[in-house]
Amino acid sequence: MEPFTVLNAIAAPLDIPKIDTGMIMPGRYSRKYRRPGHPDYAEGFLHDLRFDADNNPRADFVLNVPEYQEAKILVAAADFGCGSSRETAAYAVLDYGLRALIGPSFGDIFNGNCLQNGILVVVLPQEAVSELWRQLREQPGARIIIDLEKQMVTAPRGDTYAFDIEPTRKKRLLLGLDDVGVTMEYMSKIEVFEERHRKVLSWLAPII
Amino acid sequence: MPTVPFTMFQKVWDRHVVAKAPEGEELLFVDRSFIIEGNAFLGFDQLRIAGRKVRKPLQNIAITDHYLPTLNRAAGMGGFTNPEIRRVVEMQNENAAEFGLEHIDITDPRQGIAHVIAAELGLTQPGLLITCNDSHTATNGALGALAMPVGASNQLSHVMATQTLWQKRPKVMRITIDGVLPPGTTSKDAILAVIARVGIGGGVGYAIEFAGSTVRAMSMDARLTVCNMSVEAGARIGMITPDDTTYSYMCGRPYAPKGAEWDKAMAFWRSLPTDDGARFDREVHIDVSNLAPVVSWGTNPEDSLPITASVPHPTDYADPEQRRRVERALRYMKLTPGMHLTDITIDRVFIGSCTNGRLEDLRAAANVLKGRRAVVPAMISPGSTAIKQQAEAEGLDRIFIAAGFEWRHSSCSMCNGSNGDVVAPGERSASTTNRNFEGRQGPDAMTHIMSPPMAAAAAVTGKLTDVRTL
Repeated sequence: MEPFTVLNAIAAPLDIPKIDTGMIMPGRYSRKYRRPGHPDYAEGFLHDLRFDADNNPRADFVLNVPEYQEAKILVAAADFGCGSSRETAAYAVLDYGLRALIGPSFGDIFNGNCLQNGILVVVLPQEAVSELWRQLREQPGARIIIDLEKQMVTAPRGDTYAFDIEPTRKKRLLLGLDDVGVTMEYMSKIEVFEERHRKVLSWLAPII
Repeated sequence: MPTVPFTMFQKVWDRHVVAKAPEGEELLFVDRSFIIEGNAFLGFDQLRIAGRKVRKPLQNIAITDHYLPTLNRAAGMGGFTNPEIRRVVEMQNENAAEFGLEHIDITDPRQGIAHVIAAELGLTQPGLLITCNDSHTATNGALGALAMPVGASNQLSHVMATQTLWQKRPKVMRITIDGVLPPGTTSKDAILAVIARVGIGGGVGYAIEFAGSTVRAMSMDARLTVCNMSVEAGARIGMITPDDTTYSYMCGRPYAPKGAEWDKAMAFWRSLPTDDGARFDREVHIDVSNLAPVVSWGTNPEDSLPITASVPHPTDYADPEQRRRVERALRYMKLTPGMHLTDITIDRVFIGSCTNGRLEDLRAAANVLKGRRAVVPAMISPGSTAIKQQAEAEGLDRIFIAAGFEWRHSSCSMCNGSNGDVVAPGERSASTTNRNFEGRQGPDAMTHIMSPPMAAAAAVTGKLTDVRTL
């Protein structure tokens, strides 16, 4: 996983609430094979919002506006990523080229999947998000700075917003650690646990 | 001696903590992991790239459900019409074989939707920590298991490689449902009313315990429906205290403990209920004594109202963000504010899914359809092959077929259209499933979710219909 430290990038405002993971990555794209390490899921990302039924780009959709082509940050609306647990939605975000999402709330499973893939998820109050939308619309192509170590978002005009993040996730994002690597160092503890667990749940002992 | 009272959630969680990271997340032991085919290929690829094996193959079971066709199943792997869909199932076959996992596959007589057969086979048991790469994993919590969804790539491969999962301990919310469900209503109506109250984001960061006299009186099939939709209230975990309903449901199931081990398991299970005086981070109470059947009108499950109500006006919402969202939902659903819900005409009916594809659901639908005819295309996909066979033994299939329904094989089917069973663009469906998001049942499809009797009633009239007036 690529470490996440400071991101200074173009941000796009996406103010549609409750975009579920099925809209982020429609099922007909989600079932396609993704070659490890290849951004194959970029096409599916928000496909039906980005394109019409004839597969022509919807000119009025924010990500189709030329100024946002290089965006690496999406400032989303409430409950972004609710719904299905498909991790392809997180891959689609990544494959499209985004590294961070900012919004007032996120689907819980999606949030976890993003962090697992090195995408920072920043929760800010709705008022702060609305202010970011306002500044980004005033100045299309404006940049936002996200400093993970300091847990600080700097808006295009320089106003700053502090955010919370679960400390375990923060550390692993900063260092680019993947969970399996960390867990392998706990293997002796896992084995001790299993010994005890087999005795308590003895009817499961044959499979543990 | 006074002891600290614990919630059921705390007891089961604590029982599975292997270690705690200095920063706060806990490493949990996974008793059983169910691996469904949807994107599991990503997780298996990660294992292959890292050169890892499945550490505890007997604790991991592959199940194929989402992508199976509901027609031509006798042809096995030859029964697919779409090569891309067939390929997803082939990858699951190949991965399960390569990594040495038991696989309840397309030809297995136990085949069914993971969240239906896990309970049906006794794989799900009270007090177990269960993961599955599907958002409706909380379904298993109806038996008092702590069941949570995992991502199909990183988290799934972590479970397979280590039999553990890193998690932040969630807060705990108790939702107490009291009152006798009135005639014409089901546990689906109760959970839709709960979601309308709590909101789709209301349970984010929480594990839910469903309690109260209504829940206690529910059958296991009904409880599974309630826990199934925990995630539609934002919570990844939903649980119900095990009781005699649970134990009699468990007893004799293929994977349930037997003999002396059953007695030992019972002693463990009886220790699980929440202690008197245990503290919850949030409490919600709902009385269902006067509940009317509930249907969704908008584009997420919190947009649900009693069938006697009308389509809301955006101006009913004080919050400007909600108002904007409702305007969009009404545009997508092609509905006019103020119209009666019972004036909404539908094009298609689907009965099935991990929410409402169980025997009790099929019986309730058949009860409405007996001697009546559907006026729109309608189909049923039972939650499992075993349920399909039992329904046929009871003659339910003949009632459905006589009513003009298609009696299909078991699959996740039209709930999200993974297998190609989709609602056509511009069509409106009445569906017993769990989600009504934009495009959920197919691009530009409009979905109204409801109980099986309500879906049956809609099939008969071609409109959203109060089943009590039929």
